[in-house]
Amino acid sequence: MKLFKYIWRNATRNKLRSSLTILSVAFSLALMTVLYGYLAMQNVWSNEAKTHNRIVVLNKQGFSGKVPIAYVDRVRRMPGIKAAVPYSWFGGTYKDEQAPFAQFGTDAKEVFNVWNEYVIAPEQLAAWQANRQGCVVDSRFAEQRGWKIGEKIPLKGTYYQFDLQLEMVGVFKAPQPTGSLWFHWDYLEEGLKSKNALLSAGNAGAVYAKVERADAIAGLCQSIDDKFASSDNPTRTQTEAAFAQMFTDMVGNIQAYIRNIGLAVMFSLTLVAANAMAMSMRERTTEVAVLKAIGFSRGRVLNLVLGESCLIAAIGGLIGLAIGGGFLQVIHKSAPQYFPFSIGDMAGGWMLWIVGVAVGIGLVSGLVPAVRAAQLSVVNGLRRVV
Amino acid sequence: MSATDARDGEPIVQIRDLYKEFHRDDFTIPVLMGINVDLRAGEFMALMGPSGSGKTTLLNLIAGLDRPTSGTLRVIGQDLGNTSEGALARWRSQHIGFIFQLYNLIPVLTAYENVELPLTLTRLGKRERREHVAAALEVVGLSDRGDHYPRQLSGGQEQRVAIARAIATDPTLLVADEPTGDLDAKSAAEILDLLQRLNEEFAKTIVMVTHDPHAAARAKRLLHLEKGVLVDDQPNGQAVKGAGR
Repeated sequence: MKLFKYIWRNATRNKLRSSLTILSVAFSLALMTVLYGYLAMQNVWSNEAKTHNRIVVLNKQGFSGKVPIAYVDRVRRMPGIKAAVPYSWFGGTYKDEQAPFAQFGTDAKEVFNVWNEYVIAPEQLAAWQANRQGCVVDSRFAEQRGWKIGEKIPLKGTYYQFDLQLEMVGVFKAPQPTGSLWFHWDYLEEGLKSKNALLSAGNAGAVYAKVERADAIAGLCQSIDDKFASSDNPTRTQTEAAFAQMFTDMVGNIQAYIRNIGLAVMFSLTLVAANAMAMSMRERTTEVAVLKAIGFSRGRVLNLVLGESCLIAAIGGLIGLAIGGGFLQVIHKSAPQYFPFSIGDMAGGWMLWIVGVAVGIGLVSGLVPAVRAAQLSVVNGLRRVV
Repeated sequence: MSATDARDGEPIVQIRDLYKEFHRDDFTIPVLMGINVDLRAGEFMALMGPSGSGKTTLLNLIAGLDRPTSGTLRVIGQDLGNTSEGALARWRSQHIGFIFQLYNLIPVLTAYENVELPLTLTRLGKRERREHVAAALEVVGLSDRGDHYPRQLSGGQEQRVAIARAIATDPTLLVADEPTGDLDAKSAAEILDLLQRLNEEFAKTIVMVTHDPHAAARAKRLLHLEKGVLVDDQPNGQAVKGAGR
């Protein structure tokens, strides 16, 4: 610690070079922060889902298959099931928007028994149940869009070739932002029948069910799949957490690509930082020789140089973490349906890992210049000037 | 160990049949050949000779910066020919003070911090280090320049800070390589006054390499090297206190 001031002064000696090195580390690690933040969000999401004892029944073929609507009642009647609802994605676009938000056709009478942690005013729930074209919206999402009760919400079909004319009759409060809109599954079904989309009619995208006890989940999943195994539409039932994880797994390869690209960037960055450090030390050959002359050991010189390179990289890492974290927070604020957790909810060991990567870059980039400085012959180093 | 601790009469530098060779590609270049010198505590010795005569090489060997090819080299009780690099670094930090021609202060550290640098290698606490630095800067007359960076000092002042750095740990032996070589006449005279004072008032043993006869005139003993051979070693009868350039 006696030499920290000297290390700090060395790190800030050439401000332009140090700033550029710090920024290059910062931007690369900001990218990594966003990637690992996304993975952390998936984990938090998955862990959160585990606490609600929900299961999801899909067609065995996944999203390409359908779950007959009759399955909802059959699941509902099974011992250990508290409630079950159909859950069908519509994917319509609102007014002139290009991208759809989350819209699901479901059962207005049961859905708040399945998502019983969500809160809705009784009169609004009753209004929804009584209105065939009514819908309820996540309160944060409604507020973000400036929608009020009575708001007309036209949705233009993209996947389905018909439109929905919805009216917002209520809002629900969820623990985390969902960005979702719920409407009557029956209304979707009418549309399908009117367009003679008979292959899609009579089906749900999935069935969500609430289970009474956590320890019954595994057995129930198996029982449901066994029940429909011999039907035309066999099922694959899993926990909501596993279902959330499935989305992560679906982009698993992309994650691997991003990870590998990230590693390549880190490697290149380490070389760049090493070059900057080597240049810096080359300019200080005589200074290192003087240090060794007055008694600095090899180890101490090595630590001085490594301390400097690690300090520069750690500063870059912290800035990168702040930039990446800020970016994730902006995504959370602007698109909570895709990123429902704030950076504070996701804080954890992965952030230390990012800082660790930064220090690692500092260590590796400083190693060669540090070893060369430590092994410098005092006589050769001083020969330049004496 | 300070110069005053050295046992009277026993040389603090003993050089016997010292040879030093450098190797460049396939060539062997003899630099020092059969040097024999004793240096006693409290001496002020000037090493003179033309360029390439081996003065700086001999100085580096005495200071423990290099190792002899053959021969015996004992300095302050340490056989420098058979000492590991780590032990040599420790030994230098305790016993040797360095003064360079171009001062070689650390540009990012203040005068105070430069003087403190060798003290960071000791076990002294912060308060004791501060006392040592203050005393060293007082000796060189720069107590009021502690917070100045080297670029804010004149050449003469920089060299005085370098001398303060050299004496901060109270070493037994000061080695100076052309300490006035980069200074104007007035500053050079001030530096030589200071070295002379360190030798006479503080009993520091000094070995100084110089080309300058005026600088050499301040030493008590003159050694003359030519082509790696010691050709003359005699007391400097003309050593003059406060002699100018």
